[in-house]
Amino acid sequence: MRDVRSCYIHIPFCNKICSYCDFCKIFYNEEIVDKYLDELEIEINDSYQGEVLDTIYIGGGTPSSLNNKQLNKLFSIINKLNKSKDIEFTIECNFDSIDYSKLDLFKSYGINRISFGLESIGKNNLEILDRDIDKNKVIDIINYCNKIGINNINVDLMYAIKNESIDDLIRDLEFIKSLNITHVSTYSLILEEHTKLYIEGYKYIDEEIDRKMYDLICDYLSDFDHYEISNFSKNSTYRSKHNMCYWKNLEYYGFGLGSSGYEGNIRYSKTRSITKYLNHDYMMDNSLEFLKTKDKINYEIILNLRTSDGINLESFKDKYSNDLDYYYKYDNLVDEGLLKLEDNRLFIPNDLWYISNSVIVKLLEGEVNG
Amino acid sequence: MKQENIRNFCIIAHIDHGKSTLADRILEKTGAIDKRELKDQMLDSMDLERERGITIKLNAVQLTYKLNDEEYYLHLIDTPGHVDFSYEVSRSLAACEGALLVVDAAQGIEAQTLANLYLALDNDLVVIPVINKIDLPSADVEAVIGELENIGFNRDEIVLTSAKTGVGIDELLETIINKIPCPKGNKNDKLKALIFDSLFDSYRGVITSIRVVDGEVKVGDNIRMMETGAVYDVVGLSINTPKEVKVNKLSSGEVGYLYASIKSISDVHVGDTITLDDDPASIKLPGYKEMKPMVYSGLYPIESNKFEDLREALQKLKLNDAALTFEPETSKALGFGFRCGFLGLLHMEIIEERIEREFGIDLIATSPSVIYQVELTDGSMILVDSPAKMPRREVISKTLEPYVKVSVFSPSEYIGPIMELCQNKRGSFIGVDYLDEKRVTVNYDIPLSEIVYDFFDKLKSFTKGYASFDYELIGYRESNLVKMDILLNGEVVDALSVIVHKDFAYPRGRAVTEKLKEIIPRQMFEVPIQAAIGQHVIARETIKALRKDVLAKCYGGDVTRKRKLLEKQKAGKKRMKQIGSVEVPQEAFLSILSSGDK
Repeated sequence: MRDVRSCYIHIPFCNKICSYCDFCKIFYNEEIVDKYLDELEIEINDSYQGEVLDTIYIGGGTPSSLNNKQLNKLFSIINKLNKSKDIEFTIECNFDSIDYSKLDLFKSYGINRISFGLESIGKNNLEILDRDIDKNKVIDIINYCNKIGINNINVDLMYAIKNESIDDLIRDLEFIKSLNITHVSTYSLILEEHTKLYIEGYKYIDEEIDRKMYDLICDYLSDFDHYEISNFSKNSTYRSKHNMCYWKNLEYYGFGLGSSGYEGNIRYSKTRSITKYLNHDYMMDNSLEFLKTKDKINYEIILNLRTSDGINLESFKDKYSNDLDYYYKYDNLVDEGLLKLEDNRLFIPNDLWYISNSVIVKLLEGEVNG
Repeated sequence: MKQENIRNFCIIAHIDHGKSTLADRILEKTGAIDKRELKDQMLDSMDLERERGITIKLNAVQLTYKLNDEEYYLHLIDTPGHVDFSYEVSRSLAACEGALLVVDAAQGIEAQTLANLYLALDNDLVVIPVINKIDLPSADVEAVIGELENIGFNRDEIVLTSAKTGVGIDELLETIINKIPCPKGNKNDKLKALIFDSLFDSYRGVITSIRVVDGEVKVGDNIRMMETGAVYDVVGLSINTPKEVKVNKLSSGEVGYLYASIKSISDVHVGDTITLDDDPASIKLPGYKEMKPMVYSGLYPIESNKFEDLREALQKLKLNDAALTFEPETSKALGFGFRCGFLGLLHMEIIEERIEREFGIDLIATSPSVIYQVELTDGSMILVDSPAKMPRREVISKTLEPYVKVSVFSPSEYIGPIMELCQNKRGSFIGVDYLDEKRVTVNYDIPLSEIVYDFFDKLKSFTKGYASFDYELIGYRESNLVKMDILLNGEVVDALSVIVHKDFAYPRGRAVTEKLKEIIPRQMFEVPIQAAIGQHVIARETIKALRKDVLAKCYGGDVTRKRKLLEKQKAGKKRMKQIGSVEVPQEAFLSILSSGDK
């Protein structure tokens, strides 16, 4: 039953808290980081069952905010995990806290993919996001990555920020394209509770402009493989294998404060309280979700349909013993053009991705067998 | 029980004048319930009645009261107060010999005070005028006495009460015993019992409320319904005190409940006479004038597989609501449903709410329509109770619509706004009567369809809630009527069509399309909304296409939230009806009512 081949590890520390960020994060403090890493080691030793992993993703927070000694400690913990030969091993970094020595260290531990938080280079945007960027450093760091052989690089781009103009977005896109990287993740600014922006009463940008920006991004990156609603890779070999694991509804470990995982029939979230965590109390209260077959199927649909691959109907049947239309009828949606059926794959056409929730809800409404 | 010690009476009043509270106080005073048990408005047993503060279904209760060492049995029959239910008022009146006419000491006589008084006088009841709420700071007892004198009562027959404090209740009970005659029937005659109400109980079948006029009925008797011919054995008899008390027999003059394992709802007609099967009476009691529905609307289950459930619900409701009529109809947009006839808008709302609440069926109600008469070019006349049944314009020679005489009771300072409202509603002025120098009746002839539309709400807002009104049907008049269709995405939605006066079609079309634009959420494509008369489009709005409905980021931690979000979205669509490719929320179908005219 259990088939875990991916692992997410959360490093919840940042040197600076961005106005929009809802992830689990705390200000960097050397002593707490040390304690945290000790605890992480215990947590992983307790839960890891020896599987060979295809992807490991170190996310945050800002993992690059750790000092070299702490990074060494982190990697020594991760070294105990069994890695497959062609593992995708990603770490998230911020340009503020990265330098050549950390990159060398990553390289030495087998990191082969780096995801950088760039978000924007526009003055208006950076002010609203409470961020800063040094374009020259960006270029320099990415060049160095390529030089030492870490050449699968993602940058995050954020758009639809208040007062952002189409020209601002084009400037961001031009810059990102000039970096000659392999992957771009984009997302419109989402206002989350408990963020500075929310508390300050930030208002969303007009839906029309938001959509226009999304369409513009898709246009600009049209020579990329647009393989998921918000994700573009230079070609299909550079798709994020780790994120694909989420969207294919595959299982993954979640380690560290505020992480989430999916093992066997259970989805879970780890606590977001550092005190509880350091007291070996890892699970978030009431976070365990015990999945019945139908729940898994719903996840399968919701997640698969985010990707250009869509739902592979053959794998679906292998996994759940019945055809998809035993559970949900979709013929009418294919007729209406809301879904496409090609090569035994059912997917949402690109031009409807931005309203994919409506399409998915329509599919879920066609429920026939519980 | 001595027949000469029985008094059967009801309470009639304008809505909100304290009828149910007065009933409660009488229950308390006669020891039927003690104060501790008294929930407000004991007689109103349906949740809906208590919530809305109005009495919808009748209720009968037996009380005992000692006067001069004689024990008297008082049967109090509760009646509804709203204009829509005058039919039920007349039903309960037929079971009584007397009525308490309750008038609010602060508000004085209102439209339905008079309407109900006339009904009681028509039924030859002895009427006892009661001024209630005399404890109110705003009470003006002298003025109300004056009003009552103006309509023919003597000052000394008026009883003053405060149902809230209990003042005057003993005096009232004594007046009831002294003034209201005992029932006239003969205990030794053949059985004649009037069915004045009925309800369906899952365990006992149909339970009827009866007033025995002549003879007596016993448990085990073989009875016959004189109109339907159905024959049953009496399984049980009981009276309501207001706790149910089983009895072995009910004799002439008495009021109680009878059940006989009646499973077939259609065997029981309210107004029918029960007699003994082996010793039947020769003529049945007069029963009731059949009430004709005035307002029609289509009721459709949102989930189409609930059609049979809806039929059953309507049958059960009709059991004690003879005025409700229904027949199956089909709509292209909504599927299978029922065309239902109601006494008025409130009646319609209450039926809808009861179906949703008591039977758990989510409904779509189409906009209400009155019955039009349409004369065709071949000389024949047809009745049209639904826009769908309106013939093509080419074959119509003329159309007629029902008119009502509206009497608006109001403080005189609102004459201006009331007249303005009535003019806007296509009314023709009849006259103004002064009840005294401060209170007037404004009389107008107005098309019934305008009353159905939003007259009541408008009247309340034009007069700060001070005016009340009553109406009666006065016949049909020729009128230039057209059918206005509403098109969604180019398709006529039959359930949204309305019949309107030609001169008012344009503003109505504008108002409806604007309202629909507000109510219908954005869809995956642009949806034009058009109002049209025949091929001629008179108004248009556009619902822009949905541009964004996605969580732009979805990674490991967001997955559960994402699923919950989509499931919530799916649940939210349960109350939407798919019409062609457009998803339309339930309330859109009544938007034609609430879209205020310009």
